[in-house]
Amino acid sequence: MKLINKTLLMFTVIVATTFTACNAQIKNAKTETVKIYGNCGMCETTIEKAGKLKNVSKVDWNKDTKMATITYDTKKTNKDAILKKIALSGYDSDIFLAPDAAYNKLPGCCQYERANKPVVKANTEMPKMDTIVMPKATEANAANILQPVYNAYFLLKDALVKTDGNTASEKAKDLQTAINAVKMEKLAMDVHMVWMKILTNLKEDAEHINGTKDIAHQRDHFTSLSKNMYALIKVSKPAETVYYNHCPMANDGKGANWLSKESAIKNPYYGSMMLSCGKTVETIK
Amino acid sequence: MDIQKTFCKKVLPIAALLLLAINNLVAQPVPITSGKIVRYNLYVKDTTVNFTGKQKRAIAVNGQIPMPTLTFTEGDTAEIYVHNELNEETSLHWHGLFLPNKEDGVPNLTQMPIKPHTTHLYRFPIIQNGTHWYHSHTGLQEQIGMYGNFVMLKKVPSPLERAEGEATFRKGIDDLPTVPIVLSEWTDLKPENIHRMLHNANDYAALKKNTVQSYGEAIKAGHFKTKLKNEWKRMLAMDVSDVYYEKILMNGSPSSEIKSINGNQLKAGDKVRLRISNGGASSYFWLTYAGGKITIVANDGNDVAPVEVDRLIIAVSETYDIIVTIPAENTAFEFLATTEDRTNSASYYIGNGIKQLVTPQPRLKYFEGMKMMNDMMKMNGDLDDMGMSMSLNQMDMNVVMYPEITGEAKAPSPSERAGGEAKMKGMDMSNDPNRYNANALADIVTLNYAMLKSPTKTNLPKDAPVKELKFELTGNMNRYVWSLNNKVVSEANKILIKKGENIRIILYNGSMMRHPMHLHGHDFRLLNGQGDNAPLKNIVDIMPMETDTLEFNANVAGDWFFHCHILYHMMSGMGRVFSYENQAANPLIPNPKLAQRKLFADDRKFHFMAENDFATNGNDGMAMIQNTRWSIGTEWRLGYTAHHGQETETHIGRYIGKMQWLMPFIGFDWRYRKMETNAMGKTQGEKNLFGQTNTKDNRQQFSLGIAYTLPMLVILQTEIYHDGNIRVQLMREDIPVTKRLRMSFMLNTDKEYMAGFKYIVGKNVALSTHYDSDMGFGTGITLSY
Repeated sequence: MKLINKTLLMFTVIVATTFTACNAQIKNAKTETVKIYGNCGMCETTIEKAGKLKNVSKVDWNKDTKMATITYDTKKTNKDAILKKIALSGYDSDIFLAPDAAYNKLPGCCQYERANKPVVKANTEMPKMDTIVMPKATEANAANILQPVYNAYFLLKDALVKTDGNTASEKAKDLQTAINAVKMEKLAMDVHMVWMKILTNLKEDAEHINGTKDIAHQRDHFTSLSKNMYALIKVSKPAETVYYNHCPMANDGKGANWLSKESAIKNPYYGSMMLSCGKTVETIK
Repeated sequence: MDIQKTFCKKVLPIAALLLLAINNLVAQPVPITSGKIVRYNLYVKDTTVNFTGKQKRAIAVNGQIPMPTLTFTEGDTAEIYVHNELNEETSLHWHGLFLPNKEDGVPNLTQMPIKPHTTHLYRFPIIQNGTHWYHSHTGLQEQIGMYGNFVMLKKVPSPLERAEGEATFRKGIDDLPTVPIVLSEWTDLKPENIHRMLHNANDYAALKKNTVQSYGEAIKAGHFKTKLKNEWKRMLAMDVSDVYYEKILMNGSPSSEIKSINGNQLKAGDKVRLRISNGGASSYFWLTYAGGKITIVANDGNDVAPVEVDRLIIAVSETYDIIVTIPAENTAFEFLATTEDRTNSASYYIGNGIKQLVTPQPRLKYFEGMKMMNDMMKMNGDLDDMGMSMSLNQMDMNVVMYPEITGEAKAPSPSERAGGEAKMKGMDMSNDPNRYNANALADIVTLNYAMLKSPTKTNLPKDAPVKELKFELTGNMNRYVWSLNNKVVSEANKILIKKGENIRIILYNGSMMRHPMHLHGHDFRLLNGQGDNAPLKNIVDIMPMETDTLEFNANVAGDWFFHCHILYHMMSGMGRVFSYENQAANPLIPNPKLAQRKLFADDRKFHFMAENDFATNGNDGMAMIQNTRWSIGTEWRLGYTAHHGQETETHIGRYIGKMQWLMPFIGFDWRYRKMETNAMGKTQGEKNLFGQTNTKDNRQQFSLGIAYTLPMLVILQTEIYHDGNIRVQLMREDIPVTKRLRMSFMLNTDKEYMAGFKYIVGKNVALSTHYDSDMGFGTGITLSY
């Protein structure tokens, strides 16, 4: 035992003496001042921590002026590399925009106004864009007239996949608006026929989903809503491929269907509990 | 060619100035087109580069890294003059091309190597289109710069062809602004040294990547039991990749910008097609984009029906054509290539303005991966897929390590820490058939091979005879031996096939790593459930325990290499040669026997390692040379006094079995130690546990023995000496206690024992301390090579 203790002691001494030598300053130092967007003292901590690397770089950010003093070893790093690290922690500069995920993760008090973030062009389709693009009246294509309805349906479905009753309720409201906005006289004859047949039920289901935040109740109505939506989308030919999926367990084991734009199964009837339950029964193009 | 200029600008100052003289003549490889012949001159030359602050040797072609992008149009004839200005042999392989066998560029198989200071002409018709690349097939040259883009454009169809719908030209895809990008990695270590260290299970790379996965780290993460079970099953800590790289490069730079293509400024709404080749020697890359979805339009140079994904992984040597859209004005969107182990990445910023970053791939949860490995490894070293039949990258066992799919690693609760095996919170996933299906588990859509579909029918000739071949990908990590059906290239015969046959290959990966298997000279159909429209590929990435089926029509005679494209696996012998029966002799191989011997030399190579501990109580060390099957090693213990003695043991052994746990050997021992004398002045021998006496005083002995690796990686060694003495010994080296601290012990029936610690300071240096029954206690410095 004594021997082992001795061994360890010796060892520690050797290791310790080797590693006390490094406590130097930043060499080849260069200092620059740059703007970094942020709000508060908490931001300051995050920004300065993200930009700091022992003996290589340090950052001093002022929350009032939003200006940061960056000092770094020019042989080991550069301003862009430091600003990139800060952006990855959630903070925009004039060179880099933080990833949305990093920004969204910041605490509420830190979610500064993103002055540099550009507005996404309306005609490019972005994922998770909530605004419903209204088609131009001149386009008599059934798919285009009904597109806002489909878009609203898919957003509602996404909310159910996430088991988010509040959002589902909001999306159902959008769906109601979209349904009411359809100029049915512009629809082709066969589409028009189906539309007339299902309109009352569509409205009723949308109203019920909007009227509650109880996810189980919403899913009940989503079953019949999806069935009617399928009849409509089948006759109107969607602008892009749509998958008709079936989950055998939903609806108390009677099974239920839904429509999706992605081929991957994301079950709106169970959400994360059984996200991948189900299979595609029909591909509508 | 704005892009080419940008990277020339970046690379040229780096590349040695001595190239400047010839640079003026050849820096811009403008093809000299005469009729339909497109000619390139490639000057291969030694250079030094500085990617990390240190000057290192590299190979540049026409003064640049990567090699210049070669562009052709379907129907052209390529004439490529390779001027070897190196002081070593070289070769160039045209990856994924259909060409006569003698133009394929595999040294000692399809041609003799291009000798130093000679010129070789490759001349072949361009009979296909698509994104491909080219690289050296000689030694490890690919690692240090010899890779480049090789683009074959479709013919723009005449209006008549278009009207008849014959053309394969896809409007909205094939007419987009295009940028070819070759991915690669840079390491400051010499590739030969990397190769040697891999074979010696050196964990320096893991140390650099912070992926040692020691006991200390395991306990902290609540995974002590996981680590214990892992070593019980005789596994060393594993990573998804083995080599540490200082830099990741896209077209030769860790960070690049594309602001305009062909003089047109990029703006919001523009679509850009990227032709991406993975020219990395051993790295897979995740590809992600800050501006939204990625649309895949071609793979391995063959069109596929467009498919939209959030991300994809590109295997070593694969190519993908993807389309990205610039969604907003005054912004450049980051296109990011991240190594599979997520320790490093390179960026391309596409567009003009402020740079919108993409979320980086989070660090892997290594102990979850280790747990997964424990579950699938049987005690005998076979893998157990637990009833899941896996194929086509659809199930990725590694998802258990991906925080973005399976959630962040949680700090263990005290009870779990006591239990030593952190459990997943919430639902028990262990019976979910989708527990490894990334696309079912999360919102992120990841590409897999089942999603690839050829836009045209790809059926093989119907009435051709079918030849079916089965291969198991085999290997073991501890000794870095990689093979097919347990045989390396030099141990197996060429596989004879007949012209006109349909060859069907069934691959099963029984090893613990994924392998990108590449076939020369042919595209194969990957049977992926798309029926007549199975995609055409020339690389298939196959993950552990997966089974994939591919088929091709044997339509061009020659000797074609089929191998794993991870450079260090290929050089270890993971491949086979397909050879057509009754084919004409290759005029470029005048002496086939010599060529074969040189080809086989690659995987027969011996790797050297040595270590010596300069301690206060003596010198302790070992030197060893090993190859696929053989091991020759010497150990020594040299005391400073006669009383401590000196001894050496030499063993020559052969590894047996797939896992190579068993090694019979013959040995020779010599030792000298001044023994204590008894009252009568005679030296006394020492008795071992079996009651046999042995003298250590100038003893020379031959021995026969067996070494066997026990669970916990303890080596049991039984030896019988020519005087009838028996020695049984247990030994374990390099137990990872913490990230840098290693422990070792040894005891045997001669009543000798040793225990010690080693603290790793650098690649070749460690501080050590040990206690030895012969020589007592000592501390010192261990140098290793």
